[in-house]
Amino acid sequence: MSDRDLHRLKDLPIPEASAERKAEALQSAMAAFDANEKVFSNKTKGSDNPSRLKAVSTTSLWEWIMQKRYYVGPVAASLLIAPLAVHLTVQQMDENDDRPILEGLFSSPTPAEETEALVELTPANKPEKSSPVALSDRSLGRTDRTEAPNIVGFAPSVSEAEPSDLQGIVAAPPAPSTDSHIVRQGGGSIDGVTAQAPRSNEVSSLYGRVAPAPAAERKAKRERAIALNSKALSSARHQPRPQDALPAQSAGDRFSQLDRNGFLAVDTDPVSTFSIDVDTASYSYVRKLLNRGELPSADAVRTEEMVNYFTYDYPLAENLEQPFKPSVTVYPTPWNQNTQLMHVAIRAFDVPEDARPPVNLVFLVDVSGSMQAPDKLPLLKASLRLLLSKLDAEDTISLVTYAGSAGTALEPTSAAERSKILSALDNLAAGGSTAGAAGIRAAYDLAHQSKKDGSINRVILATDGDFNVGVSSDDELKKLISEKRNEGVFLSVLGFGTGNYNDSLMQVLAQNGNGTAAYIDTLGEARKVMVEQAGSALVPVAKDVKIQVEFNPATVSEYRLIGYETRALNRADFNNDKVDAGDVNAGHRVTALYEFTPAGTESAYNDALRYKKETTDTGSSAEPSAQSNELAFLKLRYKLPDSDKSKLITLPILKSDSKQTLDAVSNEVAFATGVAAFAEKLSGSEYSADYSYDEIKSLAKRGLSGGNGSLRNEFVGLVDLAELLSAQK
Amino acid sequence: MNCIDQESVLIERAKSGDRSAFAALLETQYSRIFRCAYKWLGNREDAEDVAQDVSVKLAKKIADFRGDSALSSWIYRVTLNAVRDFERQRAGRNLGLGKYFQFMQVVGEEQVQSDDAELDDLWFSVRKLPPKQRDAVLLVYGEECTHQTAAGIMNCSEKTVSWHLHAARKKLRHILKEEGHV
Repeated sequence: MSDRDLHRLKDLPIPEASAERKAEALQSAMAAFDANEKVFSNKTKGSDNPSRLKAVSTTSLWEWIMQKRYYVGPVAASLLIAPLAVHLTVQQMDENDDRPILEGLFSSPTPAEETEALVELTPANKPEKSSPVALSDRSLGRTDRTEAPNIVGFAPSVSEAEPSDLQGIVAAPPAPSTDSHIVRQGGGSIDGVTAQAPRSNEVSSLYGRVAPAPAAERKAKRERAIALNSKALSSARHQPRPQDALPAQSAGDRFSQLDRNGFLAVDTDPVSTFSIDVDTASYSYVRKLLNRGELPSADAVRTEEMVNYFTYDYPLAENLEQPFKPSVTVYPTPWNQNTQLMHVAIRAFDVPEDARPPVNLVFLVDVSGSMQAPDKLPLLKASLRLLLSKLDAEDTISLVTYAGSAGTALEPTSAAERSKILSALDNLAAGGSTAGAAGIRAAYDLAHQSKKDGSINRVILATDGDFNVGVSSDDELKKLISEKRNEGVFLSVLGFGTGNYNDSLMQVLAQNGNGTAAYIDTLGEARKVMVEQAGSALVPVAKDVKIQVEFNPATVSEYRLIGYETRALNRADFNNDKVDAGDVNAGHRVTALYEFTPAGTESAYNDALRYKKETTDTGSSAEPSAQSNELAFLKLRYKLPDSDKSKLITLPILKSDSKQTLDAVSNEVAFATGVAAFAEKLSGSEYSADYSYDEIKSLAKRGLSGGNGSLRNEFVGLVDLAELLSAQK
Repeated sequence: MNCIDQESVLIERAKSGDRSAFAALLETQYSRIFRCAYKWLGNREDAEDVAQDVSVKLAKKIADFRGDSALSSWIYRVTLNAVRDFERQRAGRNLGLGKYFQFMQVVGEEQVQSDDAELDDLWFSVRKLPPKQRDAVLLVYGEECTHQTAAGIMNCSEKTVSWHLHAARKKLRHILKEEGHV
């Protein structure tokens, strides 16, 4: 595939968009724009006349065009009165007619009568003014639209009220559209008519005269137009497309766009730095979608969160002073025979259950209307009940709700008072819109109120998506959360439901609050997140944990970090203790995987540099012989929870320690690799595209005997599902 | 007043809630949006759907447009996201009645064929690329953006754009071979 071939891509013949669809698009955009208006209203104060700055003639033309549909309302209204007018006129004229008035009004005239009436109407025995009205309205009343004149024809009847407007319409040549269309779709075809209007200065001057109409009247017209507009939209758009019968419910969920890590050449980028991540939200979200028969979008799949979802049986650290013990395995990549994987495993020190300090939890619960769905508020209530069973009298729980307004549903209460907490829970009901800012402040206040010496203080935000921030911006919210974090109150986020799930915001919130983001899709997941981990998992054992790996160009030619795209750090951030990073609570397991190409492999993604620098004389501390055996050097920095100074753990990764076959690695590592391969496949990664679902399954099955076996079994089921779903795609 | 100034005046006014300015702006941009969507999707009706979605999104988001990238880049970005959403929704929809609608789509689609069969094959293959690679190829070759502009639109580094292009070329060779065209 040469450059020249690809350059031909620009020569594609492109058809024109149909004028009708274009008008529809512009129109719906304007409706959306108008819906913004309340946002704008402050800004436009003092510049009430929108045409004041007018300098561009196309602007005025468009304004004129877009304003046109406001008059559809009056036109339509006059049409409704039309039959009445006709019949009244007929009645008045024909004094000898002895039919009762009511009959004349409500029985629809036969075609013969109609014609008769018209004949009688048109000549001279009518007052001049009403004649065109009666005529045009009459003709519109007919159902046979091929005979009816188009809207331009009868526009003059409305003219008395709006002279300037009328001239504009008359100036436009007759449109090909049919009038029945106009009545149904409101503005759509009006645009069609006016699109043919001449581009003249006259038009803009016309608009100039329309503009100063009383503000209230204009507003009313605008509202009518919008109503009409949106109705027309909902009926017109998409109707003929059968696929729409099946809505994609996850379409409203928002994820940050992920730029997947590619292979980096060790020559140019020898150092990889990232913050650890113990979130699990991505896995449960993916599981939920798969179980519903939908493949997740690539951006929803975060490989590290998928892998870290499971508890692995990694070697345990001995004490709290050095709460980690990193262990590294190097083995052949299952999906690529030319590369190898480097599996970095960390297991945090496990705090015994009875040594846990008291917890002070403030639940900030979104009770906006959207939380009503069974997989949201009711699931949250059930999860809280489960959690309650694990807490004791030392612990306190408070509930703050936010919707239209924020309120405290439960003052800090000892977990011993079960019934009080449960009844407060039961009284939570969904309704109203979302206003999170007041809620989060109230939650932090409560957390401070019941803070005790040595207690673990945490605000747990439970929401299905939007966290509308009265605090003027996301940045300000982040600042608030970081401040509170420094005061010792951490923030965690529990996500619920689909359709409106704002994953990226949740991530930002949890990352700034030293917390975790978990996504609760089932009660089983609630149990995992809140109960299994509620005890010791709430105890932080280290904060700001960063990993830096320096690869040895003598042994490794290129590498890529699998996942952790949202956690990348700059090289210099590693030694900078001011840079925030991920936190690890008791018992957490963290896995990171690198895929790398050993030096000297021909099929590297990056070609070797022809003018490679000689690097042997850079004063490295390692002996040359040791260097040639080292693949990389792992550095891990962390702070103890109450310290601001970081500690360093280092570990050289030796070539001679690498496993020669995949079978030689532990079952735990094999399972983690299987999960990573699955995540890579779901995210459409080009590297593991040829690796089959079956191979993933057989890799994962090796780990079935390990910890949380039921979840691992479930994983194998998910691989099956994904295989079926992607076969359909 | 030159063209660019005029555009930035319109943007400023649209941001402050001037609907006529926004209408004028959208009128000038609609065909760019449609053409872009068409190139990505290869089907007029789909492109019109996406163009409508994009128009509505622009209306909602114009107030947040900060002007730290060019308007065209911003519009590309919104359009590319809309294309992806559209494909995702379609994939979701297709699962239910799966094959039937896929069939219907193929039959019902208005595929504009150019006279150049080779070019058609190339386009067909490009549209089958993974999203990031496709975006990179179409921005750089289809829209003739510089790597720098494409990087801005795709919100990644220039290096990553080059990487995507490299991977895409490799993949295209593979696809074309598989389809038996080369």
